[in-house]
Amino acid sequence: MQLRSRVKNLMIMGCVLALSSCAAPGHKDQGQDGAYGAGDNSVQSSGVGQRSHFGDSAAGPNQSLAKRTYYFDYDKSEIHAQDKAAISGNADYLMSHPHAKVILEGHTDPRGSREYNVALGERRANAVAEFMKAKGVNPEQIRVVSYGAQRLAAPGRTEHDYQLDRRVVLVYVR
Amino acid sequence: MTMRKFASLLFVIFGTLFSHTTFATLLSMELTRGIAGAMPIVITPFSIQGVPPTEDMAAIISNDLKNSGRFKLSTSKMDDKVVGAVKEVGAGRYQVSFQLLEGKGASQPTVLLNRHYTVSGNELRALAHHMSDAIYLQLTGVRGVFSTRLAYVVKQGEKHILEVADQDGYDPRPILTSSASIMSPAWSHDGKRIAYVSFENERAAIYITNVATGARSLVSEFKGLNQAPAWSPDDRKLALVLSKDGLANIYIMDLASHQLTQLTHDYSYINTEPSWSPNGRSLIFTSNRGGNAQIYQLDLASKAVTRLSFDGSYNARASYTPDGNHITMLNRESGAYNIGILDLDTGVFRVLTNTGSDNESPSMAPNGSMILYGTQYNGRNVLSMVASDGSVQIRLPARNGEVQDPAWSPFLT
Repeated sequence: MQLRSRVKNLMIMGCVLALSSCAAPGHKDQGQDGAYGAGDNSVQSSGVGQRSHFGDSAAGPNQSLAKRTYYFDYDKSEIHAQDKAAISGNADYLMSHPHAKVILEGHTDPRGSREYNVALGERRANAVAEFMKAKGVNPEQIRVVSYGAQRLAAPGRTEHDYQLDRRVVLVYVR
Repeated sequence: MTMRKFASLLFVIFGTLFSHTTFATLLSMELTRGIAGAMPIVITPFSIQGVPPTEDMAAIISNDLKNSGRFKLSTSKMDDKVVGAVKEVGAGRYQVSFQLLEGKGASQPTVLLNRHYTVSGNELRALAHHMSDAIYLQLTGVRGVFSTRLAYVVKQGEKHILEVADQDGYDPRPILTSSASIMSPAWSHDGKRIAYVSFENERAAIYITNVATGARSLVSEFKGLNQAPAWSPDDRKLALVLSKDGLANIYIMDLASHQLTQLTHDYSYINTEPSWSPNGRSLIFTSNRGGNAQIYQLDLASKAVTRLSFDGSYNARASYTPDGNHITMLNRESGAYNIGILDLDTGVFRVLTNTGSDNESPSMAPNGSMILYGTQYNGRNVLSMVASDGSVQIRLPARNGEVQDPAWSPFLT
């Protein structure tokens, strides 16, 4: 019970910090693109199974572990100094939990070319992945996927929206 | 004054004129910038015998010609005139005829076109576009694109639809409906297949769908990126972007054997958005190897790479005109993303859009006359067209949801 409430707290923190909708425990994280694997007339969607957020106090400061969205500058893929502690915290968690796996989702703001943005999003996610591997994380625990500008965090077209869009989101998978 | 200089001057005049114009609220295909000196043409209502058809042939032809920007509708006896007749002949079929007659302004007015057809009622709209093509070719010397189609992605809430519609936005049909993102539709040169990227399994993959049957096949699902499909001129190969060995590089896949040939070997920079030259001898692509995104050309025989774009801090998504003499691209200058065109002979680059919106995904009409692209209007993603000399601008019908990432079909008939 105590662990459960701790998990819940971590999840709430994660949700707030990620500035994105989070699913309830035991439910799929639907992301911005909706229900994966939902019935569909023309797409035989196979899905990748349940996703959930792990929380574990043994992996270091809760705060850094819960911070799972990392922001980037325009057309850049360099990790901000203030995000390194959080990425390290999650790297430590992965190293102490060799069965845990993460997806690193790369995103960009909506400006510019869609395909260039997909490549840029991948560079950002790769930057986080390389940082974690350098810490000693097994590459098998990390999968990178780039959505470019296909899943914006903020729908508006202000510089503030763009700052929220340019991100890598770390998602724990089971 | 050379033709090019004259066109530039026209562009400057119209650019200045329309940059200060507030567009009215519009719900249908709308010519927002027309050409000076558009050809006047009279289009009279078709005579009707028997059960009236559901389509107004004269109205469709009028819209086609008017929205091309090259014509303006007239009622003067001095101008060339289109007359036609529709006769119901039973079993839902119609005999249709039309003539293009020279106006009294000509020294010896003659019949320029005189054509007869028998079609079923549901073919009348396509036939009207076919007539527009014939009239356009007769009067401009250029093949019309009124019978071509557009592919684009519609986003309605959580639903993503790859759709194909007539070039005037009519008769939209879904090719793929998905709960995940779809992007980068690309028509094969025979117009029968569309390649695209789908994220339906939480990863990117390239599929090809047969437009007529809807049958589709998985082409590329490597680890990492599977992006930016581009058909070779003979439709036997697909240029694509993979990151299976690290970073985004350009490959060519033989579609019969699925064998891959790697073209760029860059592990520090992005290489993406390949597009074939019409003669198939080279590819142009986007790379940030010089610090920011610019357009490069890769000669397929020598593998030599040449930088093509030098105007602006960002150039991407380039493609050739059908004659191979120009390339259109997305250009960033002073924070604005516009559609531009580069003359490969002179090196002169011109920005064609001035909407103040962030534009995307330019796609050239098969006759090189117009460029289709994505833009924003009233806070939504919509499609727009601009003439490749900047003289004409058209916004496409507003749809529910966001409309983006368009691709103009080749000639289909």
